[in-house]
Amino acid sequence: MTAVDGTIFFLPGLGFGAAAAEPIADALGDRFRVVGIDLPGQGQAPDAPDATVGAMVDAALTRIETESDGGPWLLVAHSMGGKVGALLAARVLSGRANVSGLAGAVLLAPSPPTPEPMDDDKRSEMLGWAQHGSLSETDARTFLDQNVASPLGDTREQDALAQVQSTSPLSWRRWLETGSREDVSATVGVLDLPVVVLAGEDDADLGAAAQPQLLSAVYPRARFVPFPGTGHLLPYERPDEVAAEIVRLWNETVLVSPGLSPEWGRLIASDRTPVETRGLLAWRALADHPDYQSTALSLAQLEMLRALADLLVPQTDGRRIDLAARIDADLASGSGDGWRPAGLPDDVSAYRRGLDAIARAWPDSAADREHLIRRILEGEPIGGGGGADTGTGTGAGTDSDQMKRWFEDLRTDLARTWVAHPATMARLGFDGFATSGAVAEPGYVNLGAGVRDPWEPAGLGRLETEDAFAAEESVAADQAVAADRAVAAEESEESA
Amino acid sequence: MKLDGMRTYDHDEIVDVVVVGTGAGGAPLLARLAQRGLRVVALEAGPNLDPDDFTNDEVEAPRINWMSERLSGGETPTAFGPNNSGFGVGGGTLHWGAFTPRPDIRDLSLHTGSGTGPHAAATSDTAADWPIEHADLTRYIVDVERTIGVSGPTPYPWDAERTYLEPPVDRNAPADLMALGCARLGIRATDAPAAILSRDREQPHHGPRRGSQNLGSIHQGERFGTKATTANTYLPAAVAAGAEIRPDSMVHGIERDALGRVTAVVYRRGGEEFRQRSAALVLAGGGIETPRLLLNTGLANSSGMVGRNFLAHGAVQVWGRFDEQIRGYRGYPSALISEDFVRPADASFVGGYLLQSLGVMPLTFATSLVRGAGLWGDELVEALDAWRYSAGIGINGECLPHENNRLVLSDERDEWGVPRAVVTFTQGPNEKAIDDHAVGTMTSILEAAGARETRVLPRTAHTLGTCRMSADPGEGVVDGDGRSHDIPNLWISDNSTFPSSLSANPGLAQMALALRTADRMLA
Repeated sequence: MTAVDGTIFFLPGLGFGAAAAEPIADALGDRFRVVGIDLPGQGQAPDAPDATVGAMVDAALTRIETESDGGPWLLVAHSMGGKVGALLAARVLSGRANVSGLAGAVLLAPSPPTPEPMDDDKRSEMLGWAQHGSLSETDARTFLDQNVASPLGDTREQDALAQVQSTSPLSWRRWLETGSREDVSATVGVLDLPVVVLAGEDDADLGAAAQPQLLSAVYPRARFVPFPGTGHLLPYERPDEVAAEIVRLWNETVLVSPGLSPEWGRLIASDRTPVETRGLLAWRALADHPDYQSTALSLAQLEMLRALADLLVPQTDGRRIDLAARIDADLASGSGDGWRPAGLPDDVSAYRRGLDAIARAWPDSAADREHLIRRILEGEPIGGGGGADTGTGTGAGTDSDQMKRWFEDLRTDLARTWVAHPATMARLGFDGFATSGAVAEPGYVNLGAGVRDPWEPAGLGRLETEDAFAAEESVAADQAVAADRAVAAEESEESA
Repeated sequence: MKLDGMRTYDHDEIVDVVVVGTGAGGAPLLARLAQRGLRVVALEAGPNLDPDDFTNDEVEAPRINWMSERLSGGETPTAFGPNNSGFGVGGGTLHWGAFTPRPDIRDLSLHTGSGTGPHAAATSDTAADWPIEHADLTRYIVDVERTIGVSGPTPYPWDAERTYLEPPVDRNAPADLMALGCARLGIRATDAPAAILSRDREQPHHGPRRGSQNLGSIHQGERFGTKATTANTYLPAAVAAGAEIRPDSMVHGIERDALGRVTAVVYRRGGEEFRQRSAALVLAGGGIETPRLLLNTGLANSSGMVGRNFLAHGAVQVWGRFDEQIRGYRGYPSALISEDFVRPADASFVGGYLLQSLGVMPLTFATSLVRGAGLWGDELVEALDAWRYSAGIGINGECLPHENNRLVLSDERDEWGVPRAVVTFTQGPNEKAIDDHAVGTMTSILEAAGARETRVLPRTAHTLGTCRMSADPGEGVVDGDGRSHDIPNLWISDNSTFPSSLSANPGLAQMALALRTADRMLA
């Protein structure tokens, strides 16, 4: 297990179970641990207590909480599983699950959070198949035929048929009558995480043509990939291509952003960490969008901010947080720090003006850039011009002085944004997020230098009990030495 | 806090007193007036929060801070937002550090000088004396300590008379190291008085409060009631006695009759305008909001002192780097105190300072490294990587008034339509001299404790003095009881009335003053 990069949790579609993950797992090889999940009524899983999508999420999360090692994971979800996955991701990102490490989702012809578009005749036909018990082989075969662009081949078809037939008729009917019609979009909200949506061009209501309209607003970062000559059963029809997209998303997210070790992930996932904090950390841990579109700043200003960020808060290990993008998002949301230097305009205007002035004076060489920053810090003119008038008339001094004061705000914003990332917290040795949770002892017990509480990550100090053991061992060693001496003394006496 | 079921009053009913603000100034007074049978209404600009609404996350925690922008000028501008401001039922006590030393008698008369000792005579031309007897203030402080639950050591090295009813809270690593360094240098230091319970207690009208959980995130708000706030002490008592608390209510106007007496306050709630009639008004919005309201309404300012005499405590820190992991974000952040420097023998300045051990949260530390030490680039990242090995000591130092340190109104308006506050603050020679002395002291202590290297992080804290009390109506805004010199039914109960800053942190003294003003109103 130590050899794998991470975990893929797979949520199957209607009629399928954990086993539907196998073709994708085979295609992925041994780089990932693939955990297929039987949703209620599928495979070996009992039916849910009720017909809601939420009940399926409960079951899936229980399994993910058990199976997760604290490290990064991707959610892969097919069809019905896509709707379950949306609600599940929303719950994870709000902190209401004892899990950490969600890095993104690969959705395969997913059912949307809104009522699934489905033809009435088709719904009636499918309901008819499960009216008197499990699906017959004939009906199961019809179901498969209706959902693939071309035959699957004997082995996979037999496997798929077996799964469809083993689905509990109750869960089948519940999805068609209730789950597929449920509108969970308000609870799901907007999920701005890395997402790829794969769909077949020969699929109907959930096909490639329909997906952007169904999901763009839910997943603003979604990349939509159409598969020609493909129906609805992507896990069986296109396992190699699905696997390739999983690898690509992993490489573009987990591998380029600062990682959190499983030990720290498990601490975030634990009940020690309050629900809200767990959600905040989950959002901050997500990789930044490589094509982030700035809203408060222009693209040129964003690029200038990125260049400054590299110098002011350098991230040298190749795995980076796009501090500039995060500050742009904060600026756009209007969340300030409650004050600003007198004479400066509002935060957004100050950023725009300051970045433009620096851009005009921005030299080419690294040494000159550092020199420019030092001039700003000293309150000296940088020659960018246009630093200009302020409008508030509070007499806060010269342009250079104002530039210096705004630059201090900028430097503070960059530093705070970097430190707020859970990977930075782990790097700095801060586990205070895991206090105030729903546990009997929500705070710290051992406060001394060099020691830690048993629940804290091992790198943060030694256990008091280790001291005790060390002391006991030392006492035992002393006694052993004393005993040896006594024996030696006796021997010497004897020899005397 | 629980507000459902509280008594309510009609807007047209002339209540006895309206109190603006529910922090350390408003809440104790509200409770005492209600308990004596007065019909009282508190208006709080911020929301009412449940303990579960508090978060230990520093990015999100400012929901308990006043985040509507203030404009800050001068050479050493005051940082607001997460510093120096409260928002919500409980006011500034939601985020306060709960560090509760008592004021030193010598600090009450910086102008005339008093007390004993070699430098008791060092006085300031600009500072004002407190028109209050120290013994009188202390009587109220004892009352507050008992009510909110202050933990501390008995005996207390600098005050043989003093008794703390609760034993001190646990020391963390910075406290251990400061104690070690002080012991090696012959400086007296001991467990700090703190409004953090060291044992579980049942708080009347509130319910159970837990004993300390050694949380380092108390400035972000605390869920278990280990830290005293007015929302888990005075305000539940006030509500039980018939007070009404209206959250989300921003007062922006004051109405008066032909004689100039206050008749009503005007406030906004949920985008609507309301007017509450009242026989008396108490402003308790703190050192920024109270003068802002008075300047905006043009009231109570015949002395011209509204907004003047802005004081911010010196709060410079020195951090030492040690071999072991200190991780000072664990435990009560300021668990050790020394009062040996309230009047240092070798002082070249007026007043003095208190020392406290320091642990801080990561974003707070990062902010101090950037703003205080001016770090950037690799040096910043290295200093942050060294944070876990670092222990700090900080001060709360005297601040003298200066002509240019003041609050005025901007021509820019906030979301309620009120002109924003512009606060100008530059540390003067006396403040710089205190800082220098303190940096020397703290550096010595850390080095004596084994620090490999030290770093100075300049800071200031608190917002005081902008409506100061005075015996002479020409010198201040209110009298020693907190009553306006100009308007007989207008009172101020917040730290804007501090005639001088004191070397003690202001929260405890403010609660005591609030009770005292309430008694004067009832007299």
